[in-house]
Amino acid sequence: MSTVIDVAGLTKTYGRVRALDGLDLTVAAGEIHGFLGPNGAGKSTTIRILLGLAKATGGSASVFGKDPWNDAIGLHRRMAYVPGDVALWSNLSGGEAIDLISRLRQSAGEAKAYAARRARLIEEFQFDPSKKGRAYSKGNRQKVALIAAFATPADLYILDEPTSGLDPLMEAVFNREVRRVSDEGATVLLSSHILSEVEQLCDRVSIIRAGRTAETGTLAELRHLTRTEIAFAAGDRVDWSIPGANDLVVENGRVRLTADSANLAPTLSALASLSVQGLTVAPASLEELFLRHYGDVA
Amino acid sequence: MSALTTLVAQRVRRNRVTVTIWVASTGFLAFVAAIGVAREYGTDEDRESILRLAVANPAILLLRGLPQGASLDQFIFFQIFTYLALMAGLMSTFLAVRHSRTEEETGRAELIASTPAARRTPTTATLIHGIGANIALALLVAGAFMAAGLDAVGALLCGAAAGAAGVAYLTVGLLAAQLFRTSRAANSVSVAVVLSTFLLRGVGDALGTPGDDGLHMTSAWPSWLSPIGWGQHVDAFGTNTPLPLLLQLALVIAVTAAVYALQSSRDSGASLIADSPGRLTAAPAFRSNLALAWRLHRTSVIGWAIGGAACGLFAGSLSSLVRQAADSTPAIGDTLSAISGAGTTLDQALISIMFSIAGVLAAAAAIQSVIRLRQEEAGGTAELLLSTPLSRVRWFADFLVVAVVAVVAVLLSAASVAVVAVIATGSDSSLVGDVAGIAVAQLPAALLFLGALALVFVVAPAWTAGLGWSVLGLTFFVGVFGPLLGLPDAVTHISPFANSPVLIGDEPEWNGGFTMLAVALAAVAASLVLMRRRALRST
Repeated sequence: MSTVIDVAGLTKTYGRVRALDGLDLTVAAGEIHGFLGPNGAGKSTTIRILLGLAKATGGSASVFGKDPWNDAIGLHRRMAYVPGDVALWSNLSGGEAIDLISRLRQSAGEAKAYAARRARLIEEFQFDPSKKGRAYSKGNRQKVALIAAFATPADLYILDEPTSGLDPLMEAVFNREVRRVSDEGATVLLSSHILSEVEQLCDRVSIIRAGRTAETGTLAELRHLTRTEIAFAAGDRVDWSIPGANDLVVENGRVRLTADSANLAPTLSALASLSVQGLTVAPASLEELFLRHYGDVA
Repeated sequence: MSALTTLVAQRVRRNRVTVTIWVASTGFLAFVAAIGVAREYGTDEDRESILRLAVANPAILLLRGLPQGASLDQFIFFQIFTYLALMAGLMSTFLAVRHSRTEEETGRAELIASTPAARRTPTTATLIHGIGANIALALLVAGAFMAAGLDAVGALLCGAAAGAAGVAYLTVGLLAAQLFRTSRAANSVSVAVVLSTFLLRGVGDALGTPGDDGLHMTSAWPSWLSPIGWGQHVDAFGTNTPLPLLLQLALVIAVTAAVYALQSSRDSGASLIADSPGRLTAAPAFRSNLALAWRLHRTSVIGWAIGGAACGLFAGSLSSLVRQAADSTPAIGDTLSAISGAGTTLDQALISIMFSIAGVLAAAAAIQSVIRLRQEEAGGTAELLLSTPLSRVRWFADFLVVAVVAVVAVLLSAASVAVVAVIATGSDSSLVGDVAGIAVAQLPAALLFLGALALVFVVAPAWTAGLGWSVLGLTFFVGVFGPLLGLPDAVTHISPFANSPVLIGDEPEWNGGFTMLAVALAAVAASLVLMRRRALRST
């Protein structure tokens, strides 16, 4: 599979602030790649460099094998972008903003297909295109950028925390659209600090922290590094000794513990011999991954 | 502390720099004008000859004030008062809108409205703060005049008149904030009210009846439609009549009552004049960055062009007024023939004066277009555009194209209205050629502002708005007051407007015209080249 985004050792400084500190990121063609990190980790800075809006201080970044700073125009013909915080023109209606961005991205002869896709997206996102820019809430401003992005086909979608203002219903619409463009062969880079959204959509994930890549791989590979959560009813017994158990606590009448996901057999057979009641076994969530990497940041 | 005192204190704190700058520069203007005028026009003869000239020349009356006597103090009042009132007015409307509509538009007002300080308290706090700022301005103006050695009673009255005009415009700003949904609209409308009432009293003064001695003028009715006009009629340093200030008070009470009535009856964030619904889809032609740049500027270009048309109207019609005055008052006829000559007729001089103002408006329109670029960049909308196949250079160049269009539109509307006025008033039709020449002569200076600010935007974007407006303001100040204050030539000649060509008659003087054009072109070329290398900077 060919590589769409290839970033190695990327650095970016703003005065004395080091926003990126040797970031690596590889996104293969056709995959939905989750780009995870807490606020201020450098996600948006990386995206701005990939769009040619900012210039890298050091390291290398290429998109479709080209330099995003020097070949911005050619690359933008193949890309769609949704910013994390969408700003609109106060005296333009949402419909006009969608049309303007789309027309700037379109090649000739797409108008008819565009009109159909636009109508469908406006319906699905339940968006009112007649209001003026300043009258939209954050979620509705986000819809403008999302509709403009999905209404014209692209080879690469760069989405910077695209659902931060959307309600769960609209998130479902968003997920459907991402799967649709992915099925059509497009590559998606989805930045987020909302882990459930990444878990639902992404093939592979890169986790960044303080301008560096902390972890990268498929979700299965990353889960491998984590622990499975186990809980069951405590009954009358107070003293528990279970092989492979970590962080064992007894609270509210339940026993909670974690175990190494790759080596659950001894723990599970011990639980079976104890005939525990009300057993729950939950796979590690990305929240836990985050906790492990960032301590107090969930 | 009660909610009201808390809100007043918060306003004073937020405005401590802005209001200090406005008040201090108004006081400074009063002081330097008083000192400068005393130095330049020290004798009664000097002042009398200027006043006779002014009475005969509506352009001077329009740009200065109402002649009410030739004593030094009265002469200073004539020269500077209208500008002091203008400054107080602009300070006050900006202040009013900043603490009312801007707060509602950004949603900050909701934070306050959810506390016990609901609904009317913020308006009262703004009113108190604005009145306080105008009292400070009035005291500083009075102090400046007294420090310059003017009569204390007249100085206090003059300060009070300027401050009272400021308070009147403060309520106008608050009313505009009630009427319009956006701070941009509220600001534009209230600034338009301030400028047009400044102009209205100018028209009233220009259409007034000269006194027998040629040193006094009784203004016509339009002056009485303007808070600045009322202020002039206190006749400071003459009869010292504070009665016209009762008109200010009446206006303030009436408008404030309207503001409170509207404020009490509407939703937070709503406005009396509602937003028109937008289009569902964009017009077919709305498909390029250039179309967007034009769309964003359209309204302000029209506004500036209306200003240009007003200049053109005065340029083309004042000369016939002068002739009527000369026919009815022989003294004026004598003054006119004395100043005509040196290759320039009075008509041409009048047109030149009015077009130099159109030139400043054209430069202002260009500056606003460049500042818009910065707003697009800092506001985040540029990011959306530049993620499409649109190059930074193209994005930048399109806004410059609109800026040039704005400059041309202002001068063209001034010239066409002037030509119509010249023909309609039956003036010498050879003036039509002069109008065209004088209008073209304003281009280089306006384009120089455009080019220089474009370069500033590329190199130091955060400075764009501040530098653009302050340099233009300073230039305008030097142009209007430089000769009056006896500033050295080296200073007055720095202004691009002082270097504009004089394209009248058979022997055009090009002056710095070509140099300015060359510098403007070089600045634009450099900015285009540098823009290729520049990243988007939101801060």
